[in-house]
Amino acid sequence: MIQQDKTRSIAADGGALDRRSALRALLIPAGAAVLGGCSTATRLVQQAPDVADGGLGRTRFEPDGTRRFRNHVLYDQDGRKVRFHDDLVRGQVFAASFGYVSCRGICGRISNNMLEASALLGGAMGNPVRFYNFSLAEDSPSDMREAMEFRGIYGKPGWTYLTGSPEAIRDIRCSFGFFDAGEEDTQGDPATHTGMVRFGNHALDKWSSCPGLGNPANIARSVVWLFPSDRRPQVVGTEYEGSNNARPIPGWTPPAPLTAQG
Amino acid sequence: MKISSADGFGHPAMSRRRFVGGTALATGAFAIISRSARAQVTPGIGVDFNSPATTPWVWPLAFARHAVPLPAWKRLDPLPIPAAHQRYDEFAPVKFYDMTVSECLSRPHPQLAASPATAYQGSVPGVTFMGRYGEPVLCRVRNHLPASMQGFGSSDIITHVHNGHHASESDGWPGDWYGPGQFKDHHWPHIYAGGDWREAKGTLWYHDHRMDYTAQNTYRGLAGFFLLFDHLDSGDENDPSLDAFRLPSGVPDGSRWRGCYDIPLVFTDRRYDPNGQLVMDVMNMDGHLGDKYLVNGRVQPYFEVERRKYRFRLLDGGPSRYYLFAMSNGMSFQHIANDGNLLPNPIETDHVDLGVAERADIVVDFSQVPEGVNELYFVNRLLQVSGEKPTDTILPLAESGQLLKFIIRPETGVPDNSQVPSSLRPLPEMNTPVVRTRDFRFNRRNGMWTVNGNVFDHNRTDVTFKRGTAEIWRISSSGGWAHPVHMHMEENRILTYNRKPVDSGILNCRKDVFNLYPGDEMELYVRFRDWLGRYAMHCHNTVHEDHAMMVRIDVVP
Repeated sequence: MIQQDKTRSIAADGGALDRRSALRALLIPAGAAVLGGCSTATRLVQQAPDVADGGLGRTRFEPDGTRRFRNHVLYDQDGRKVRFHDDLVRGQVFAASFGYVSCRGICGRISNNMLEASALLGGAMGNPVRFYNFSLAEDSPSDMREAMEFRGIYGKPGWTYLTGSPEAIRDIRCSFGFFDAGEEDTQGDPATHTGMVRFGNHALDKWSSCPGLGNPANIARSVVWLFPSDRRPQVVGTEYEGSNNARPIPGWTPPAPLTAQG
Repeated sequence: MKISSADGFGHPAMSRRRFVGGTALATGAFAIISRSARAQVTPGIGVDFNSPATTPWVWPLAFARHAVPLPAWKRLDPLPIPAAHQRYDEFAPVKFYDMTVSECLSRPHPQLAASPATAYQGSVPGVTFMGRYGEPVLCRVRNHLPASMQGFGSSDIITHVHNGHHASESDGWPGDWYGPGQFKDHHWPHIYAGGDWREAKGTLWYHDHRMDYTAQNTYRGLAGFFLLFDHLDSGDENDPSLDAFRLPSGVPDGSRWRGCYDIPLVFTDRRYDPNGQLVMDVMNMDGHLGDKYLVNGRVQPYFEVERRKYRFRLLDGGPSRYYLFAMSNGMSFQHIANDGNLLPNPIETDHVDLGVAERADIVVDFSQVPEGVNELYFVNRLLQVSGEKPTDTILPLAESGQLLKFIIRPETGVPDNSQVPSSLRPLPEMNTPVVRTRDFRFNRRNGMWTVNGNVFDHNRTDVTFKRGTAEIWRISSSGGWAHPVHMHMEENRILTYNRKPVDSGILNCRKDVFNLYPGDEMELYVRFRDWLGRYAMHCHNTVHEDHAMMVRIDVVP
């Protein structure tokens, strides 16, 4: 079950240490220590050798107008190794939230909202829409799988829980804009860790965000709005309870998007 | 009311600020603004987001064209549906506009690229609406955008007239957005709130309000001026009517700006990639800051003025920057309107303090500039290094950000018949009985912008307000963030600011944006009259607004 309080430091929590050993074994590259002794910058470079270090959370633009994120090594709920940019971001349409399995704060409500939103998205889940949850507390894959089973998410299409080194998760969180100088060292604290959900359509470089504590329909809507207006998944239950009185333009033909001129 | 000493601030918020002397700070607009960009910690921003260098004062100030109504013989096709609007027949439109929202290329400076922009009627900023009280208008807004545009911006739109006293269905409620291939009719009846001429509004603006994408869409170009005139503020400095104010007049219409002395100026800040294309830090939750100052869509333009009075309508077009405007020589001017509403009496000052979406009308008399001085700058003295709020630092004039260069031409010989009357528009009485008091705390929780702990849901009513009644609303900002709070449909009055009564000065006026600095609290006298339906109150740092810092108000019979 998911009752362990993992907000305490690892050194002070022998039980958590044992439970995380599986993750650590996956994360520690030969000769590199995860806990101390190795600077953040060094490890970021180790994990992202293909992206120049431009500072915490930095991304860069490719010639095709898409963003390139650092390609951090992460592990999913089944212990499979994945790369952040290549496997989770590139070409994907996704919603990403942050939390950890033992959170007794806002995670439960956010997870429930995400679950309800995924139910509204129905057949769009898995292809093309994916939901990610990034662990803020070095949860082990087995912990995450247990939490997913507890919530009835495990095995559902499109869902992935992800864990990795604190530095990788911090960089991912910052690259999604969930950063606050005053809260930086407290993201493991359920009282303050981010409740925002990041939405992205990587190919179109469309990005938005909404609070995870709001109406689940707003989360589903935010996903739908990432798609071109003529190719949006039809999602029942997210309708606006009003009327905008808009009418079709007679004889309208869609224009092509403009491109920049130097 | 001048920033000549640290004591005499007119704006209460100014008292917390400090002046910076000496040369500790970098000099010149570019140095300061690029310094700001470096100092700012902006995770999620691309590594190449510092704009290319641009030479200032290369291009002249540009002006949007006036919106042109349909000729009398032409009808909208299909015809408007009167039943879709409140009180349509009572305020039957006498002018019809057919406006298209489409993509266009916008070049802000010769050293920058022509970037795709979203434009009202092909113009960035959008075409200028010239309205008159008593002349109701219907405006059709067609969405001719492509189904998707690469990068920031949504193809869905909904047009809001900021400070418009309009029925909900024409107000631009954020949930009323519509996609490409559709149009929506907006009925703008141009009536005084409560039928009271003292409620006249003058400098309004219109912009996109698409839920969750307002910052992106306005940044991409969807904003323009919307001016209203009446028998007093008649837009004619030679008006023979004894009632008319005869303020400096003549609003530029595209390239026709000679002989125009009523000048709308929208101030925005933008960022460009190494290729000179417009970019936006869409990942930043606090707010987006540009590293280039733009006026009316151009980076640091110049403007030729005559030695006479000018009315400037200043608008902080956001998305997140605050300004403290001043003339580079420290000269004073007349502050005549706050949020576009003429004050009871003009206030002489040497600075104007604006938060996002706030407006100020000022009259600058260039005939007071000493002979031989032919160049002046309009500057921003406020240092801001993050999107969430400005710093407390007021820069010395010589080190302030230069926004606009005035080139003062020799006398033209045309007499300046304009004036600034000592009495302008009196304030209406606050004589509607107050039926209740409400509190609204603008805060942050777990990295989420909240109002009273809640996040926006367009299907949830947060406030039910009985039309024609009055309430006291206490609005406050907790934590370390500033929030320019905007209310739709009606403008309201500040009763107290940080528990001190407001009965004089620049805040003793009608306002639609209430600029809360960290820890601030205001008590407002709030009325909603004439119209029913859904309205919004939200933070107008549009980045906060898009992340659900909004309240739904349902005005009911």
